[in-house]
Amino acid sequence: MHTKLREWINLCFTAMSSLTIVLLVAALLLFLIPMFAKGLKAVFFGGTVEFRKMQADLFDRGNLEALQREIDGTQYARAEIFNILEHFSRGIDTAQLESDAKSLFRQYGDELRFRDVPADKFTALRQDARAIRDRLIEAYQSDDKEQVLGILDEIAVLERDSRFAGTSIEKLIAMAADYRTAIHGVDLTRRSDYAAELEAVKEQLRSLFGPLPGEGTPTLAMYRFGATRRDIMEKHIRYLIWQERWIEEEPEKPLVLINVRRDDPAYGSFAGTELAPLFALVEDNADAMLNPRFTFYWQYFFDDSTPGHYFGGVGPEILGTLLLTLLAILFAVPLGVISAAYLVEYAGDSVVIKIIRTCINTLAGVPSIVYGLFGLAFFVMVVGYPSILTASMTLALLILPVVIRASEEAIRAVPQTYREASLALGSGKFRTFMTVTLPAAGPGILTGVILSLSRAAGETAPILFAGAVALGPVPDFTGRWWLQPTRALSYGCYDITVGDKLAMMVPHNQFGMVMTLILLVLTLNIAAILLRSRMSRRLRGS
Amino acid sequence: MTSTAAPSIQSDAAARFTRPLRLSATEDLRGYLGSHAGRGLLFLTTFLSVVAVLLIFAFVIYEAVPFFFKGSWAEAFARIREFLVTNSWYPQSEHAPEYGALAIIVGSLYVTVCSLLLAVPIGVLAAVFLSDIAPFQLRQICKPLIEILAAIPSVAYGVFAVMVVAPWMQSHLGFDTGTNALNASLILAVMALPTIISVAEDALSAIGRKTREASYALGATRAETMVKVVIPAAHSGIVAAVILGMMRAIGETMVVWMASGNAARIPAPWWDLSQSVRTMTATIAGELGEVPKGTDHYYVLFAIGILLLAFTLTLNLFSEYFMAKVKKQARGG
Repeated sequence: MHTKLREWINLCFTAMSSLTIVLLVAALLLFLIPMFAKGLKAVFFGGTVEFRKMQADLFDRGNLEALQREIDGTQYARAEIFNILEHFSRGIDTAQLESDAKSLFRQYGDELRFRDVPADKFTALRQDARAIRDRLIEAYQSDDKEQVLGILDEIAVLERDSRFAGTSIEKLIAMAADYRTAIHGVDLTRRSDYAAELEAVKEQLRSLFGPLPGEGTPTLAMYRFGATRRDIMEKHIRYLIWQERWIEEEPEKPLVLINVRRDDPAYGSFAGTELAPLFALVEDNADAMLNPRFTFYWQYFFDDSTPGHYFGGVGPEILGTLLLTLLAILFAVPLGVISAAYLVEYAGDSVVIKIIRTCINTLAGVPSIVYGLFGLAFFVMVVGYPSILTASMTLALLILPVVIRASEEAIRAVPQTYREASLALGSGKFRTFMTVTLPAAGPGILTGVILSLSRAAGETAPILFAGAVALGPVPDFTGRWWLQPTRALSYGCYDITVGDKLAMMVPHNQFGMVMTLILLVLTLNIAAILLRSRMSRRLRGS
Repeated sequence: MTSTAAPSIQSDAAARFTRPLRLSATEDLRGYLGSHAGRGLLFLTTFLSVVAVLLIFAFVIYEAVPFFFKGSWAEAFARIREFLVTNSWYPQSEHAPEYGALAIIVGSLYVTVCSLLLAVPIGVLAAVFLSDIAPFQLRQICKPLIEILAAIPSVAYGVFAVMVVAPWMQSHLGFDTGTNALNASLILAVMALPTIISVAEDALSAIGRKTREASYALGATRAETMVKVVIPAAHSGIVAAVILGMMRAIGETMVVWMASGNAARIPAPWWDLSQSVRTMTATIAGELGEVPKGTDHYYVLFAIGILLLAFTLTLNLFSEYFMAKVKKQARGG
């Protein structure tokens, strides 16, 4: 009948089944590619001079002389920027200027007293000085440019006044002249806007170049250095130069949000001011100011990190994971291999054995979080507090069924003829197992052990409450390290993506840690797969 | 052999070889006891797994009991009823904490069922491909790939869900939140797939060549053979595969904790996958770290643990039943 249709359906079926495999491979790639592409940025990136400063400062690493030369070079390139910034902020920050003027006036009074000026002259001089001060403060407070310039002119006339030569009032007059140049091109009515905008600019400059001149060293390591990497540098340059503004494109229409440069002549908030050249300067000379060059940060896998994983690497996490998994293997493998040996070599098919098998299957099916509950309720209770020991015992319980099953399969796969040959030579059952069956099953058991190692390294839920911490010291090997809690890669991955707000600012480190975990697990698995394929070739060959 | 240099060795060996085989009574007894003691020791070691299972059940139940039993039986029943039937989960409220876990239980089942809806058809088709369609070489490549898919740690999948899938969902699908039931279900489906594929493939392979040949001989196409003959014949194995995949999905913690959004309410309307849900595993993981020991909140988390254990134990028994059927079939066919 409709053979065509049946053939067509058959073709569709084949295509769909093939498609599922394509889908699986796509899912795997879709997962692995972004993880590795973003994670590798933690190790390979364009490190700036700030990165090398950080490495020298926090990890005692690098050639200090060369670094000093590099810092001098970059400081030279940055000097112009800080000049512009300082000059501009003087025109904006009038509160500071006012208090400066007041203190200069007070100083002048002291100077007069020091020089023993006669009382009547003292009063007259002070009154004149106070008048200058008040006029200057008036100028600082005024928004009207005409008026300000008038006042400043008035004060400037006094510059040649011999009465004030060599006193603090001369400095006051110099301040007035300074202010005159500072407000050139500044719209005084928008001074408070400028002040707010200037803070944003300064924030970005701090992110780029570290603390600004005269600010001192911040306590937190994350604020001590500027942009350590090329991608962060580019991000902050973008934030520095571009701003979002609500503008009225047409009258009577709602405002629209646009992205403009801060020095954009039409809409930029610093258009036409003295600060305007700064943006182009940073944009054009960023490389000279930060000196980014390709860096292979292999120490990422060994370094400790600053809080929030802002700087540094995943060394303690890797160490913690290795300790936990190796200890877990140490507990689980002897137990697992012995159980498997018993189940294969000795156990019959009695009810007890059936119960044991069911229990092993149940153990394999228990959700990992329930292991976490059990670890908290039992191991932590017995040991006293969450620690490496309790976490690894919990993990050991988790991988026990995996080890048993893998060993059982490996021991079962040893051809019966091996055993019979050994028995025929007169060795007992135990000796046969130890000298013939176990060595023959060795590679298979090893495969199972490697796989359970990878399983234990990746599990998070069982160790959540049993000894894993997000932040903490590296285990102290001089003391009883197994009684301390530890950081672990798996829990760290959770914490760095969901728990830690600081880490959100350094996505390369977030992905870097996950990549490390995936790399570890994949390496173990590929090793297991290779080992197994070699073994099966040998068994086929024999 | 004819060397005269070592006659003593030769005679020693000969003497040992011709020694009477009969053991003395003590030797006999020692051997008997030794072998049985060794065997007993091995048995005890093996029995540790049973002890572990019992301990797990005992301690989880032991820590959960104080939540329910405080005085009278009537009160206990009321509390169990509240726990299972109501759905307001406010364990941290100071005045009147409420422990209605219904929304959480439903949330667990919700993401599990959604992920299976996705994973089962794909998994079975992939198993068909691997067992009947793919050439040997391709199969050798595909199997390690599936194994790697299974080996990737759940927390890494969770990171992927939060950092890659969630922003994509928010920007491309227009969801209010990127961490929602759909996100969790998608990732869970990927995680359940390897289990489903490998078990289902074993089941399909266990149906012998003869069955297929007979079907082909009757003129059936491959699709007809698979759908009408092989899959029905292998149904118990496939059911076992689905159950095992379900166990994997319901017991999964990190992915759902990170990707599901953790809102303890039943999605309404029920088909709206873009809403946040919360599962039993995520509730335990998220709250146990912060509760003081010995409070009702602490105990109720263990009560959720009992529920989880009950679910997985039931599923496990079912899977064992179906797996036993598969084994019997393989022996019979």
